[in-house]
Amino acid sequence: MHPEVARKQPSLFARLARRISFVLGIGAALLVTAAWYYAETAANKAYDRLLVGAALQMAESLSVEDGILTARLPTSAFELLGLADRDRIFYRVIDTHGQTLTGYDDLKTPTPLERAQDVLNVEEGFYKEEPVRIAHATRVLADPAVSGRAYVIVAQTNEARLALTRELTLRATILVFVMSLLAFAGAMLAIRYALQPVERLGTEVRSRDPHDLTPVSVDVPRELDPFVGSINHFMGRLNERVDLLQRFIADAAHQIRTPLTALTAQIDLLGAGRLDKAGRQHFDRVKERTSELSRLTNQLLSHAMVIHRADSVQLEPVSLVDVARRAYRAAIPITVDPDIVISFEAPDERPIILGDAVSLREAIVNVIDNALRHGTDQRLEVRVRASAMQGFVEVEDDGPGIPPESWARATQRFATSKSHEGSSGLGFAIAQEVAKAHGGTLSFNARGRKGFTVVLTVPLYKGEVK
Amino acid sequence: MIRLFLVLILAGLTTVQAFAAEDNKTEFSAPQSETGKLTIYSTTDLPAMKPLIEDFQQTTPNVSIVYIEYLTNELNALAAEACRKHQPLGDLLLSSSVDQLLKLANDGCATEHNSPETLRVAEWANWRDEVFGFTYEPAVFVYNSNKVPPAEVPRTHVELADLLRERLDYYRGRVGTYDIRLSGIGYLLAFNDARQTTTVFGRLLESMARASAVARCCTGEILEEVARGNLYIGYNMLGSYAYDAAQRHPDLRIVVPRDYTLVLSRGALIPKGAARADLGAAFLDYLLSERGQSVARTNAFYFTESGELPPGVDGPQNLKESGVAQPIRIGPALLAVQDRAQRQRFIEDWAQSMIELNSPAWMRE
Repeated sequence: MHPEVARKQPSLFARLARRISFVLGIGAALLVTAAWYYAETAANKAYDRLLVGAALQMAESLSVEDGILTARLPTSAFELLGLADRDRIFYRVIDTHGQTLTGYDDLKTPTPLERAQDVLNVEEGFYKEEPVRIAHATRVLADPAVSGRAYVIVAQTNEARLALTRELTLRATILVFVMSLLAFAGAMLAIRYALQPVERLGTEVRSRDPHDLTPVSVDVPRELDPFVGSINHFMGRLNERVDLLQRFIADAAHQIRTPLTALTAQIDLLGAGRLDKAGRQHFDRVKERTSELSRLTNQLLSHAMVIHRADSVQLEPVSLVDVARRAYRAAIPITVDPDIVISFEAPDERPIILGDAVSLREAIVNVIDNALRHGTDQRLEVRVRASAMQGFVEVEDDGPGIPPESWARATQRFATSKSHEGSSGLGFAIAQEVAKAHGGTLSFNARGRKGFTVVLTVPLYKGEVK
Repeated sequence: MIRLFLVLILAGLTTVQAFAAEDNKTEFSAPQSETGKLTIYSTTDLPAMKPLIEDFQQTTPNVSIVYIEYLTNELNALAAEACRKHQPLGDLLLSSSVDQLLKLANDGCATEHNSPETLRVAEWANWRDEVFGFTYEPAVFVYNSNKVPPAEVPRTHVELADLLRERLDYYRGRVGTYDIRLSGIGYLLAFNDARQTTTVFGRLLESMARASAVARCCTGEILEEVARGNLYIGYNMLGSYAYDAAQRHPDLRIVVPRDYTLVLSRGALIPKGAARADLGAAFLDYLLSERGQSVARTNAFYFTESGELPPGVDGPQNLKESGVAQPIRIGPALLAVQDRAQRQRFIEDWAQSMIELNSPAWMRE
């Protein structure tokens, strides 16, 4: 995957936020529309009652006086309509012959009066180019002089209804808005909270040691289990591969050692014979290379062993002095140049560390071996020291040392430095591997007046010693 | 048939008077160079409006004002006709017949006006921000103190009815009131009287009819006759005109009834589509403003909603606090007053009671 493309992908949070706000927005719009509809219905219902009441009152006021239909429209009917205080009022009284008795002559109901419905059926309409609500009432007259149906039509403009509808909708809208906001904020908090394990998992995986191929053990929600499972499965497979590779190297080194031993023996025999000057020169070079090969093979084995033990061996309290002394004895060959002053220095107390004696010895051997091979000119000192918390194994020589800018490279496998001929091989790498496995470090002290020092630091064990 | 005939006569009468009233046009030229001309159609007597118009021109010196005066019914007929034809009548209508203005507004002939000044208008004197009441005028009794002995001065409607009944011969033909066939304001007041107390109004009407009460078109005529001593008592006169007349004629006295007093608020309306609706609105704002109200209180209409009665008026100290005042609410209830069947019926009843006894034969059914 290209990193540019990856960077353009919006975050999970942003995606969720966008979708949730979209859904909330649509929901709010629907709710506001519904609120408007309900508010309109409620406002119409409320004011329609007044309208119908007024129509009924007017119809009630019709009477037959001296054989003539008379309308004495009650003031109270208009006062009732006046409760919608800004609305204009139109009315018409129609007598039994269909003639207008009083009011606005051209006011009509949308449905013809003959087919008029229930009195409560208030209709929408237009009058004088204004939208109005129209109610009507019927009065059945059975006077000998005037008989038949008389009608009252009352219409009212919509201002009060609109105002009430607006007010109700506005309040509902404010509620919906506040609710949406709360829902959105809540959702955002919930998403943040829900995504935290992902973040944690990411940090955990990112901050891992490159060599650590053990399963990830972070508490994650069930939904992330498959993801963590995949990571762990992948790591497991990687681990197997690395193991396989290491075993292959160990096996290969082991397989090489046997013919190599034989080869060394053969070379020794060859050296016993007579050789001319050029032949001797070639012979010496072959012998030197063979011994280098043999050392490298040993180091490969040793490295594989150290790594294997780091994974599998239970650490136990050991005396740092004992381990260092044993390593010192193992590392100094009998054939060492007698001109070199070699010393071993240990404190009176016995610093105890929690560790694997075999690996530690291997590490120290490698450091001393490295010093002898590449550093020491006249003097080699091995010292064991302890502070309150840590134990130190220092190997000091009077050689040229490694310049500080090469220290980082020195601990890499097969790294070479200008000051050293050939490869330093795996010595420091092994030592560092071991130091790390023990929670310690491998460090260098710059060449001072006395010499160059390699320091292996491991934490002291403070528990009970068996 | 006869009813229809009567209506036709009334309509004809109105038209004739309308043409006659064209003379009643006064122009107030702008004190400074004229930038606009405001046309006001009004039913208010010019002397009452003159101080207001002149003071308005102090604040807005670039406006000239044409003031045209009509009777209430004529103005209503003209305005309704103009609205029907979509030819707005002037820039501002002022009428004491607020029921007619309300009907005009209900028919969509008015323009809405909102301003800081309109917010000061009492809720009962504002409908739809289209019709505004800008005065506070009680309907009062007036009498001539030379003719009515102090002991006989009526202080309630019942006392007036009783007085006319007891001293029938003395007061015969000496009581004046509006002819509600001609005067819109007379009809409005009579209708509201009838709503207040049916029995008392019935008795009063009957007493006045018996006493051959004189019906006149306008307040001014009655006040003049009372001042002269030709009439002794005037009923339902507008307080503002009455007080103005009382100041000129010391014999003329005013009684604010103590049982109930109808209070009328003169209405103002800006016609829809008025050419200079802005000027109409400016004048309306002036009328409603502190300054305009103050001028009205001292020079034009004398009575106020919150203040005390003007000096020399017989009545409760404070109209509002005494609870006597019954303001005629500017609201849809006035549509019932304006209903044509209602109006016809009411006027017929009134005419039957008041006029029939001494009217010419053609008026009778």
